[in-house]
Amino acid sequence: MSESGNVRQFEGASKYVLDPDLRQIVNVSIALEMPLLLKGEPGTGKTMLAYAIAESLKMPLIVLNVKSSMKLIDALYQYDTLTRLNDSRFGDSTRDVSNIEDYIRMGKIGQAFVSDERVVLLIDEIDKADTDFQDDMLDILEQMQFDIIEIDKTIKAKHRPVIIITSNAKKDLSDPFLGRCNFHHIAFPDREMMREIIHVHFPDIEEQLAQICIDTFYKLRDLPGIEKKPATRELINWIRALKMDPGFHVKNLEKGQIPYLGVLFKKSADYAVALTRTARARRM
Amino acid sequence: MFVEFFYQLKEAGIPVSPTSFLRLQKALSMGLIRNLDDFYTTARAILIKSERYFDLYDRIFAHYFEGADLPDPEGADLVEAAKLLLEEWLKRPEWVAEALGLKKEDLKKYTPEELVKYFLERLKEQTGQHHGGHKWIGTGGTSPVGHSGYHPGGMRVGGRSRNKSAIKVAMERRYRDYSTDGHLTQAQMGEALKRLRRLIPVGPKDQVNIDKTIYETMRNAGEIEIVFDRSLKDKLKVILMIDNGGWSMDPYIPVVQLLFNHARYQFKDLKTYFFHNTIYDQVWEDPTRYHKPVKIEDFARTDPDARLIIVGDASMANWELMTPGGVIYFNEYNRIPSIERLRFLAQTFRHSVWLNPKFEEEWRFTRSIGLIRQIFPMFELTLEGLEKAVAHLMSK
Repeated sequence: MSESGNVRQFEGASKYVLDPDLRQIVNVSIALEMPLLLKGEPGTGKTMLAYAIAESLKMPLIVLNVKSSMKLIDALYQYDTLTRLNDSRFGDSTRDVSNIEDYIRMGKIGQAFVSDERVVLLIDEIDKADTDFQDDMLDILEQMQFDIIEIDKTIKAKHRPVIIITSNAKKDLSDPFLGRCNFHHIAFPDREMMREIIHVHFPDIEEQLAQICIDTFYKLRDLPGIEKKPATRELINWIRALKMDPGFHVKNLEKGQIPYLGVLFKKSADYAVALTRTARARRM
Repeated sequence: MFVEFFYQLKEAGIPVSPTSFLRLQKALSMGLIRNLDDFYTTARAILIKSERYFDLYDRIFAHYFEGADLPDPEGADLVEAAKLLLEEWLKRPEWVAEALGLKKEDLKKYTPEELVKYFLERLKEQTGQHHGGHKWIGTGGTSPVGHSGYHPGGMRVGGRSRNKSAIKVAMERRYRDYSTDGHLTQAQMGEALKRLRRLIPVGPKDQVNIDKTIYETMRNAGEIEIVFDRSLKDKLKVILMIDNGGWSMDPYIPVVQLLFNHARYQFKDLKTYFFHNTIYDQVWEDPTRYHKPVKIEDFARTDPDARLIIVGDASMANWELMTPGGVIYFNEYNRIPSIERLRFLAQTFRHSVWLNPKFEEEWRFTRSIGLIRQIFPMFELTLEGLEKAVAHLMSK
């Protein structure tokens, strides 16, 4: 794209703390018109990034939530045969039964293609789908067009969407797929980053509370034998719960009494481990 | 540009494609990369497609742009680095003297080898991280050994810098945990679990899906179209045998047990047994190897379709493996040599693997490993090894 110099630059959004590495990668991907594949632990803000880009660049956001049973065609378009059958029997709609195009509905990728303005297309949790889905989808995203067989029509993208793909890496993605994306792995935020994130979500939080919450949080993450470690989302919900509780004092946390462990640990085995470990710490 | 860098990545075993390299050139020509920091992140996003290679990338990046080998505080690298820098130090004896806490006159008494040794000992002696001060090795101090300080001739030992340049970031090796080599650690538990989840049987597509068949037939304008589904198959039984004798295995036992316990729900049945060194007449259900012995012959009665996973370093004297009476405890005596027991297990269970925490390149130095490898397919106890082992267990 020749006007890439003029492309609006992504600078972060109101509720998203952006790491400079990631900003550079997002901007390069937008300029190179490459899909950006994001991997990382759950709760590192992969999905949030797409929302932040849409907000910052003032583009509409279209989200395709990938499911394991999904076929590529579902993401492109749907031929609503049932409605057409219904209309042909009863004939009480404004649609023209002899015109199949009236019964074509765009899927999420289709919507992104026919949109009148440039959009951000988030393809969430691509790893859930099978390999064929992934490869075929990238073919379409590279060519920026697909055919609707029923009406023998080619849909071409009016504007190349900004494409963000996330993966939780349940499966390894195929090589041809990886070859066509830029890649970034979002590491879990360190303490400094986490403090910024907390301040974005709770602008009026007391420094002491923020500090002790973050300390406790990282301590709990380091407990051995935990399968699903608490992530940013859990920390934010936990602080919210603490702030709501009138009986809560910072001093309790300092003493090692940790309320609402259930907000942080969502698997019952993990919860039990955390409970016994923290109880032991309290007694010592 | 940076063709050499590209080939260094390739030679190090990172799958980098020429297409992606051209894409990097495009990014460069579009003026998207303004400095080395930008180059570090952009090149990584475009060239490297998995976080498993981030650590390797960091090392090569630092090597290419800094030109120096990365000192590893616990490796032979450090000895080399110290020796190389010794010459430099000795031009200014007062620095060395100060750094090592010696008097300038005493310094002459030491040979260069002794000095290097002294330096390394000083490194080990430090228990915590050391910042500031003027004697010990750390960061931000005035000692020439350490880094980020203001001492001009200082030696770099690696660490986190305050103003992060790309090279320094690369030197931090933040992605060490993600790289595929290196032993399985707690940090990799999640990734390892995902690999175990592939231990799920897949049946043939031989069940008619009636709803779908009707739907597809309608879509086909009445032409019959039959849709088959995969038939359900029973979940797997897994038998885990762990060598829990001897310090060499100690670091890996909790990791392995935790791993399989977390994956337990996906198996029909998970049984864990323990043994020491190698398997003789029995294995034990309790880790102390005392209360609940199970005779090896009894395994003939278990489901031969169960997957047998043995974890052990397979390192022992040959007679322990090959001769009757090889068991190392004097109050036990085995009539049948251990190797026969292992053969029996391998024949009983069609799907079996041996996971070895020793790295593959060390295997050929131990004869007993070679012998056991002829019986069981052996894999490293690493993410990659686990992946291969699971693939092997699932093959027909």
